[in-house]
Amino acid sequence: MKPPDIMMAPVYLPILGAALAFCAKAFFQGRLGKGVEYAGVFVGLGLPWLALAWGLPLVLSGEALQIVMGNWFGGVGILYRFDGLGWLVILLGYSVATAAYIYALGAGPRGPGFSGIFLIQTAALAATAMTVDLFNLFVCLEVMGIASYILVAKSEKPGAFLAAFSYLMVSATAMVFFLIGFFGLYRLTGALSYQGIAEGLRSLPENGGIIALVSLSLVVAAVAIRVAVMPLYGWLPDAHALAPHAISAVLSGVLIKTPLFALSRILMVLPAGPEAGRLMGYAGAVTALAGVTIALAQKDTKRLLAYHSISQIGYVVAAWGAALALGVHTPAGLALMTAAFLHALYHALFKGLLFLTIGTTTDLAGERDVYLLRGAAGMLRRAGEKVPVTLVSFIMGALAISAIPPLNGYASKAALSYALKGTWQDGFLFLAGIGTTASFIKLSRIYWPVRKRAPAPAESAAGKTIHPAVQFSQGLLALLCLAGGLAGPLLSRFVMTLLGGDASPAASLPPQLFSLQNLQKTGLVAAGGIILFLLASTKPGKGLMHLIRRRPRGFQGLFLSFTLGLAGLSLWLFFQSRPVGW
Amino acid sequence: MLDRLLLLLLFLIGFWGIIARRNIIKKIFGLTIINSAVVILFILEGSRIGNSTPIMSSGIADVVDPVPQALMLTAIVIGVCITALALAMAFRLYRSAGTFDIDEIRRKIHDEAS
Repeated sequence: MKPPDIMMAPVYLPILGAALAFCAKAFFQGRLGKGVEYAGVFVGLGLPWLALAWGLPLVLSGEALQIVMGNWFGGVGILYRFDGLGWLVILLGYSVATAAYIYALGAGPRGPGFSGIFLIQTAALAATAMTVDLFNLFVCLEVMGIASYILVAKSEKPGAFLAAFSYLMVSATAMVFFLIGFFGLYRLTGALSYQGIAEGLRSLPENGGIIALVSLSLVVAAVAIRVAVMPLYGWLPDAHALAPHAISAVLSGVLIKTPLFALSRILMVLPAGPEAGRLMGYAGAVTALAGVTIALAQKDTKRLLAYHSISQIGYVVAAWGAALALGVHTPAGLALMTAAFLHALYHALFKGLLFLTIGTTTDLAGERDVYLLRGAAGMLRRAGEKVPVTLVSFIMGALAISAIPPLNGYASKAALSYALKGTWQDGFLFLAGIGTTASFIKLSRIYWPVRKRAPAPAESAAGKTIHPAVQFSQGLLALLCLAGGLAGPLLSRFVMTLLGGDASPAASLPPQLFSLQNLQKTGLVAAGGIILFLLASTKPGKGLMHLIRRRPRGFQGLFLSFTLGLAGLSLWLFFQSRPVGW
Repeated sequence: MLDRLLLLLLFLIGFWGIIARRNIIKKIFGLTIINSAVVILFILEGSRIGNSTPIMSSGIADVVDPVPQALMLTAIVIGVCITALALAMAFRLYRSAGTFDIDEIRRKIHDEAS
């Protein structure tokens, strides 16, 4: 085995595992079938960890492996690039996917069909993280999409089918636009790899002119749909809220971030890339605030979490876009990119954790309404949870997303605000932090004890127990959240090294994590959150929340916002590429 | 130029189907149509430099660009997968709501939930 073969293991092994799982579905029954299926899962989700460990020294030394599929020559063969960024995104994907699969063993969905599709999705996200070929990116995104449409529908609710269908239609249509954008770039340059396209465009007068800009806009807008940045977020709340809990965790933790970091590979090299990144960064800051406002108004627990995913991806995109605008090889750009990735990783951990614990709780209670469900802590206890793993895990997740020290959300949000210091985006993120705290006070009320004796919820919990696999995966993610917070500065240096920077202790983000200034800011956010929560509980506040919740949403809106986003991006790129005074 | 305009027309018909028709089967048709329009566009582009295939013969000068054809084979396969999956979902939606009208399906699901 040569190094390139081993580095492709996170892509190949899950496909092999999926093949085993489908064989188990087709040919074997009973114990043998289970054995073959779990062997497939071990091959697909377990063994790639060894490959990641093997590749770590390589990426730490700053080396990047260029892998050509099938040993074709570079201009024709599909190119993959294994470097620090790829390693990090694959790590993010595999940690959440592994935890979510363990959860699914306990709480469902189960079966070889589910395992197979889940593994295919994992393979596709590893491939998306590494590919540097525009057409291959299209294929990876489509495979990832197809797997996720099926997984969303796995919860078998009619609403889930509608959500999966809307998601499929809007995302498949966007991918056709991606193809048109790819067509434009191929016509101009005749190249498929990012590097080839970038070199081709640079050799053209005006970097390819308007055709290149429109083509790039089409590609970026199609990928941005997957990232669910405003205004392209419409498909996400239903899909994430109605999917099975384990799948919600993966969708929200991994699937919206992988396309983002895959897109950064394109925008880093293409001539108009930094400008596109800048606009997306602005959109990200707006998304962070708008997402949390809508989240605060929700009454369905999982839908509330889904809107928080939009808001938190806004944080990531804001820093990510600013990094691309500055150039990722400048120190400031590198710091921003590091902060963006840290928050993406930490958000994957705590949001996965929140989806799983809320899923466990609402399944147990048979009730998902934030305003109706009360006394969930007691229900968990009655379901046989002597050590309150689910409750403690939820609290850790809620504290992490509200950026309370010493959990990981505190570390990454401190890094973000340090890197974005002095920009208007930082102000937006600060306000979004207040909204986050308020909405998690609202959400955690479901665990508060009931004041009056309410008979209904106590009955429905009878006879249900919590599977050890569920507890294990929740506990694991909770520990990772805590570890991420405590080792925040260390991890930020590690990520920065992998992204190609230096590793001196002074370079950690922020230089002093538990400084007085940061703690003061946290106190301010927490106090603001409490005040906002109280304001939202007043009568006018409730009326406003109702208005936000009832705003019209429809199928056409998804396409309208896509078209508007696309037009906006094209115009932005057009005016930015003109010389001043034109 | 005429061929490009016809392709644009085909694309717009499909896009109109996706957006304006309420029947989900027709939306899926629309998706297939825009997909086909883009596939044809690529094939047309590949034939710009030549139309002949160097298979079982030699000395051909105006060779067609094979890359778009190879790419579009992949795109067609993906399109078929998406269509099949979308139709399967349409079937499940029909079974649960008894209609193909997207607004009515949404209303029925909403009523059930509340």
